[in-house]
Amino acid sequence: MARWQLVLGILGVAISIVLPALLGSAYWAHNFLVVNLFVTVAVMQNMLLADAGQVSFGQGALFGLAATTTGIVTGLWGYGYGAGFVAGIAAALVLGLLFALPALRVQGYYLGFVTLSAAVVFPQLLVAFDSLTNGINGITVSLPGLTQAGRAGLSWTSLLVMATTIAALLGHAALRGTGTGRRMRVASVSPEAAMTLGIAPGRLRFLAFTLAALGTGIAGALYVPVLGFVSPYAFRVDLSIFFFFSVIVGGSGELAGPVIGVWILYLVPNAILAQLSVYRLLAYGMVALLIMLAFPDGVVGSVVKALRRRQMRAQIAPIDLAAVLQDENAQARNTAAPTAAAAITVQGARKRFDRLLALSDVDLTVAAGRVHGLVGPNGSGKTTLLNVISGLIRLDGGEVRLHGAVSSRLPAHRLAALGLGRTFQTPRVFEDMSIWQNLEIGADLRGTRNHWLLHALQRFRPAWTGNRPDLLAHAQRRVLETLRMVATDADILLLDEPAAGLSAEERRDFATLIRFLRDRLGKTILLVEHDLHLVWRVADRISVLDAGQIVAEGAPAEIADNPRVRALFTGAADAAGR
Amino acid sequence: MQDALIVLVHGAGIGAVFALIGMSFNVVFNSSGILNFAQGNMLVLGGLFAFLVLPSSPGIGPWFVFLPASALLMAALLAVQGYLTLLPLRSSVEQHSWLITTLAASVIIGAVLLIFQGTAQQTVRSPFPSFWFLGTRVPAPYALSLLLALVWFGLLRWFHTRALTGLAISAIAQDLDAARAAGIRVHRLQILAFAISGLIVGSAGFVAAPVIAIANDSGVSYVLHGFVAAVIGGLGSDLGALVGGLLVGMISMYAAYTYGGEFQDAVSLALLVAVLMGRPEGLFGRPAARRV
Repeated sequence: MARWQLVLGILGVAISIVLPALLGSAYWAHNFLVVNLFVTVAVMQNMLLADAGQVSFGQGALFGLAATTTGIVTGLWGYGYGAGFVAGIAAALVLGLLFALPALRVQGYYLGFVTLSAAVVFPQLLVAFDSLTNGINGITVSLPGLTQAGRAGLSWTSLLVMATTIAALLGHAALRGTGTGRRMRVASVSPEAAMTLGIAPGRLRFLAFTLAALGTGIAGALYVPVLGFVSPYAFRVDLSIFFFFSVIVGGSGELAGPVIGVWILYLVPNAILAQLSVYRLLAYGMVALLIMLAFPDGVVGSVVKALRRRQMRAQIAPIDLAAVLQDENAQARNTAAPTAAAAITVQGARKRFDRLLALSDVDLTVAAGRVHGLVGPNGSGKTTLLNVISGLIRLDGGEVRLHGAVSSRLPAHRLAALGLGRTFQTPRVFEDMSIWQNLEIGADLRGTRNHWLLHALQRFRPAWTGNRPDLLAHAQRRVLETLRMVATDADILLLDEPAAGLSAEERRDFATLIRFLRDRLGKTILLVEHDLHLVWRVADRISVLDAGQIVAEGAPAEIADNPRVRALFTGAADAAGR
Repeated sequence: MQDALIVLVHGAGIGAVFALIGMSFNVVFNSSGILNFAQGNMLVLGGLFAFLVLPSSPGIGPWFVFLPASALLMAALLAVQGYLTLLPLRSSVEQHSWLITTLAASVIIGAVLLIFQGTAQQTVRSPFPSFWFLGTRVPAPYALSLLLALVWFGLLRWFHTRALTGLAISAIAQDLDAARAAGIRVHRLQILAFAISGLIVGSAGFVAAPVIAIANDSGVSYVLHGFVAAVIGGLGSDLGALVGGLLVGMISMYAAYTYGGEFQDAVSLALLVAVLMGRPEGLFGRPAARRV
């Protein structure tokens, strides 16, 4: 699927540089060098936006900083172009890391505004520090050795630009094939789910900004020989917006999207409206608006979606839970025998949201290798307690221990590495990846593709590889999320209302899955659930939470008789089968 | 001392404009979670309207006639923009299209201004004379902007807590699905919110026309300052926008006065980053219980 886009993109880049040179058209040769530099920046922006989920409206500032720095070092200080090139990239990397800093705290439009502000401020500062940058007069740089046309009309500059742009496209495609690229996409779709899979989103955001700054910096440094002149006017906020729009118009996340996007947005106004430069801004504003209204997925994205829809209809392979559970390979795997030791200990847990006391002095002990049910009315603090145990929320007071070691100060991704898994109320499956890749994400945590669960499920692999989970039914997503958690080798599993939205039959199947996880795999399970039938059927022990406090705890049979429990759930006794 | 007063008074004046933009942000944000990037250029259009309709030495009579006209005109324009912005959100699963559509609207307005009047900056004269306050001369539009900000603050407060429509918009802000289930016509109210934000920036642009830059490329700067104001105060809080706006106005005016005008935006950016790193929920915002 992605390969034809890669080929298309690379061909587009190569032809657009070689053909005008062969034909000897200096005007088009020059224009396409600029276009391909912009494509490089847009490819980086595409990776940043679609793979890492980071909204940056300031990539033009990175590009401009690299170009200006190269211009200063080469044109004003008289060093060689090599030194300028390196200095330009270094400067872009520094600014890229500055962009990444706020991304650790804020996301989405907040980050968009910060980077947009940077793009607005950048040319102002170039003018303000005119003693360093030559201000509005700009810097002229003459590099005849690089820019003179050689064989077939191609100069060193055009070869460098071609190599850079193609490398950017290849790099983006290669990143997607790696575990890091996959983790990046997971962290962008759902940071919380990513953390519970052992991924640190902040680190990946840093990486994405650094990679983007590197590519953008190289393009910026090459801008100097291509144009021979740098001035603050070239790097106004419009340029940053242009890069962002190019990605959207081409199709966010599509490999060939930036090539098509830049061609449309740059060539249409420049070719058709060459004489009327004032109309350029209007043209690209209108194109971006219309594309967004008519094809929200962009040009390439819409084509891909149409193709995919036709393909997918043919092959929907559901997850056959019964077959999975009966698989001998999976059955052979009982990791740990139940011990008397506590897997989870919560002591005096307190958490307050503004005026609401969500947890007040909660004590909870979950024995290893057991299923522990946690029930209570809506708003009683069940999910808060799960979030606390899985490290997504910090406690105000008290502590959590896993296998005896204090865990309540550790971030979620560290806890996941220690063997804590969880599912969410709405299943967090990653729709851009195949079912099989979703499972691999889980195994990635252990740094191996050679995971026993993947082995055990090997015969389902063909059916699950071409298949994307957006076509799966709700119950299937639930099972997929649970299997993915098992693939992380977590020994403590936190399930947040797994039966919600499941039919009676699906609930019975899920109960079988829970017992399988406990009896065959020796997992410890903390089960938050509203379906009391399910809880009373599978749990070894049950705690009742009300208004942030544990009001009852015991074996299912004893707790059903507790008057406080009866008051909370009129159906509890009934559920226990009396 | 005299310098400090000038900075303070002028800063409060321009800060009131930022506060008005911040409040107009809030109206739309509270109803739909959208931040309208075009709001700065909409303010500039309000100023341009004043330039087009007011004679070079305007009287007080026409000023009072054209003020509501500007507000209504911008309300109509923003209702159209709001309709277009909400269009892809109704059908697509891609819920971030507004980042592009509102930015595109901003680019288009700037481009149209460029086509019709080039890079020139238009000047408007106020019908009201400047006056002396604490020993400094204060141009009337500064004082009027501050007055307008207070009036809009009061109106919005009344609207959100007393008026039935305003209460419905508050309900959308708190729980969209519940509001929809309660029979609130969400889409219509969201467009109404866009229109109200148009009333605010339309009147603000008109009143502040003599003291703002009416040019093709000045909108971005205003939208950023308005956003900084809203974030400092806490996004969604009108009191926050009011206080934040005055704060940003005074600080950026101080920066311009001390270091030169080219550093004004840089200081606001630094302020924004500092607030987001230290207290992302702003002065008057509350940290919300995270839904997982």
